[in-house]
Amino acid sequence: MEAIILKIIIKSLLVIMLIVYGSIAFTMLYRKWRKKHLNLIEDTFANVTSMYLYPNPNEEPDLIKIQRTFRNLGIVPSKPRNVQYLIDLMIRTQRSILGENYTKLKTLFTQIPPYGASANKLNSRKWYIKARGIREIYEMNQNQYTRDLIKLRNDSNIYVRREAQIGLVIFLGWKSLRLLPYLKRQMTLWQQIKIVEKLKDLYPEPDLAYLRKAYESDKPYAIGLIMRIIRKFNLQEDVHYIIQFLDNQKFDIRECALYCISSFSLNNDQLGEIKEKFYNISNVEQKLQLLKYIQKISYEIDLPFYKNLLYNGNDIIKLSVADILWNNGYKEEVQEYYYQQYAMQNDGEKVPV
Amino acid sequence: MEFDLSYYIYWTLNYFFLFYGLTLVALYFFAIILSNRSVTRNKRKARFLQVNDIVSATDIPSITLIAPAYNEGQTIVENVKSLLALQYPFYELIVVNDGSTDNTLDLLIAKYDLESFDSTFITQPIPTATVNKIYKSRKLQYKQLTVIDKNNGGKSDANNAGINFASTELVLFTDADCIIEQDSLLKMVRPYLEESEQEVIACGAAIGIINDSVVKNGVVVELKLPKNLIPMIQVVEYIRAFLLGRMAWSEINGVMLVSGAFGLYARNRIIEVNGFNINTVGEDLELGIRLRKHMEDIKVPYKMVYIPETLCWTEAPNNTEVLIKQRDRWARGLWETMALHKDLFFNRKYRDMGMFYYPYWMFFELGAPIVEFLGILSLIVFGLLGLINWNMAILLFTCVYLLGCIFSTISIFIYVKNFKHYDSGKEVIELLLAAYLEPFFYHPLLVLGQVQGYYKKIFGVKSVWGNMKRKGFKTLPEDKI
Repeated sequence: MEAIILKIIIKSLLVIMLIVYGSIAFTMLYRKWRKKHLNLIEDTFANVTSMYLYPNPNEEPDLIKIQRTFRNLGIVPSKPRNVQYLIDLMIRTQRSILGENYTKLKTLFTQIPPYGASANKLNSRKWYIKARGIREIYEMNQNQYTRDLIKLRNDSNIYVRREAQIGLVIFLGWKSLRLLPYLKRQMTLWQQIKIVEKLKDLYPEPDLAYLRKAYESDKPYAIGLIMRIIRKFNLQEDVHYIIQFLDNQKFDIRECALYCISSFSLNNDQLGEIKEKFYNISNVEQKLQLLKYIQKISYEIDLPFYKNLLYNGNDIIKLSVADILWNNGYKEEVQEYYYQQYAMQNDGEKVPV
Repeated sequence: MEFDLSYYIYWTLNYFFLFYGLTLVALYFFAIILSNRSVTRNKRKARFLQVNDIVSATDIPSITLIAPAYNEGQTIVENVKSLLALQYPFYELIVVNDGSTDNTLDLLIAKYDLESFDSTFITQPIPTATVNKIYKSRKLQYKQLTVIDKNNGGKSDANNAGINFASTELVLFTDADCIIEQDSLLKMVRPYLEESEQEVIACGAAIGIINDSVVKNGVVVELKLPKNLIPMIQVVEYIRAFLLGRMAWSEINGVMLVSGAFGLYARNRIIEVNGFNINTVGEDLELGIRLRKHMEDIKVPYKMVYIPETLCWTEAPNNTEVLIKQRDRWARGLWETMALHKDLFFNRKYRDMGMFYYPYWMFFELGAPIVEFLGILSLIVFGLLGLINWNMAILLFTCVYLLGCIFSTISIFIYVKNFKHYDSGKEVIELLLAAYLEPFFYHPLLVLGQVQGYYKKIFGVKSVWGNMKRKGFKTLPEDKI
């Protein structure tokens, strides 16, 4: 390799270093300037909002002046980051205000820039802009865009479809569940949690007709969502839906079913059903969970069931069963089992515990 | 030309070093692109799942934080207090007293009003050293605290005991002396909430250096750069490792190591693989690889992820002796883990992990100190034989040095752009200077520590964990704030 080539490489590397230095300096200076500018937008917005909500007597708010002020602060379509900041401020303010002032604020926001910014974002090619637009639409309660959200419910991007589905729940309530069997893509845990929460907050009266229509769906995420809804709304009459999934082949569905069933108490038939399902569960940890639940909701100890497990179960299950029996007045049964094991050991047989 | 063996060896080695170096440089440049993408994507995603949303949510996975403690009497009460204050709606804390010989347990019992529980029937899916007693607090405000008192079995064994007693979906491992950001659990749980196609089996976050910073009630109130050069360089090293390395791996689902100081795992999967391996000092890497192998074996799509935010702070070695010991231990851990899982090497069955990730670790993590050591040896030997063209060597050295500086500078740039921990001009200049001094004052110590570790493994020299003498960060009393 020639020395000249190495010298050229060194010079190029030095140039790269200088570029990176420049980028660091620019980033730091820009951040300082940006912070100042955002503070200015925030102060102006606070003044405008308070003047509008609590005007001085005989003084009408001058909307033209307000619009001009925002324009001068850079709230124009060519500066989307400023627009975004203002939208975030609007959402934050709207969230914290209730009653008559909430309606007044909604009117104000339709009269000042940005105009239709959130709806325009739905046409963006970038997922994070589109998803943000959807979120703003539902946060600002702009239900005139419900149809647009329905179109995006199966979007290929997980964030876009998640926000669209949450928006649909907010706008349509229980009716939105009829779309569940028609969803084509996966739903995340967060999506399920958010949907259940929004239903509880905005539509606390369950509409079982729509929920039961959704029972037709056999997709794991739909099953999970329905079980969470049944749990959240404490729908005792629909608990059989959860029970049927306790011994499902899929670990996650079983996990969700175990979690959801834990807040219900069951009648004897249902208890019998879950005891039968207990034997079909392959995962020991989940078996333990179910065992604890059975013990918690049972009025009396089902001795044959526990004894069967004590003599035929997995080692860890046996220990848990021994714990339950011991602490519920069946010490003799536990002792008898251990004596038997001891005897077997003395006979040279394998001791399971 | 006559056949000259030394000349032949000289050129073979030269081309080997050149090829090795160029490959590494290419990989680092690739890592910059990947990590930049990953950090940007993470920031965008975070906007749609903010901590305020999570903190008020129901139904989110429950988490147990497992903190092993061995002779931590000086700091245990404060550390537990800080761990109890973490924000998470469904959170439990298990402190495992791993057979401490000091007053760790007594202090915990007294401060948190603990009472012991019968542990006769406690199930232990993972075998551990004998558990003596389980303690819970009588006070309602500490109801999420459990203390396990067990015989000494080492950090991994203590972690395994914690896994056994946890009843939550997720378990987070940390060291009792780490300072954890208050909202860290809310951020760490994000990947578990957001993933749908692949199961998230482990999640890690960046770890920062806290030497000389100010801490109050277990919370970092003023982050300062260390005054000493060794921990200062480690700040740059950690930024580079987490921001460039781990984030890049995360982007291609190639993370094999989630740091033992701060990692969140799915409890059911850890139990399936029988917990931490107690026979290696590289238990975190070993667990990561074993978990991945398990998921490959059972053919369940999975992910191990990293989030770029610094959520855990730790004290770095403050002097050369402790630093060398630490790197010696890490090197032994790496060696042991690579040896344990050598069946992965170019094994098609394990897809990308077998064909790319494991060989990368073999060649460029395990192999780098050996290559560097060989490089220094050849420089000396060939220099003495008069085979080296010193003008060219100096130019080549300058190139390599500048490349290293560029990688560090870019890491610092990505950090400054995305995070506000070190945002004053003075701090950034100090970080850059530390990065440029690293190859002269710090890197040789690392190579020494690593080669020492390998030497011990090759020749079977016994070694112990060793205690790190901590200088400590400044802890302010309440009235000082």
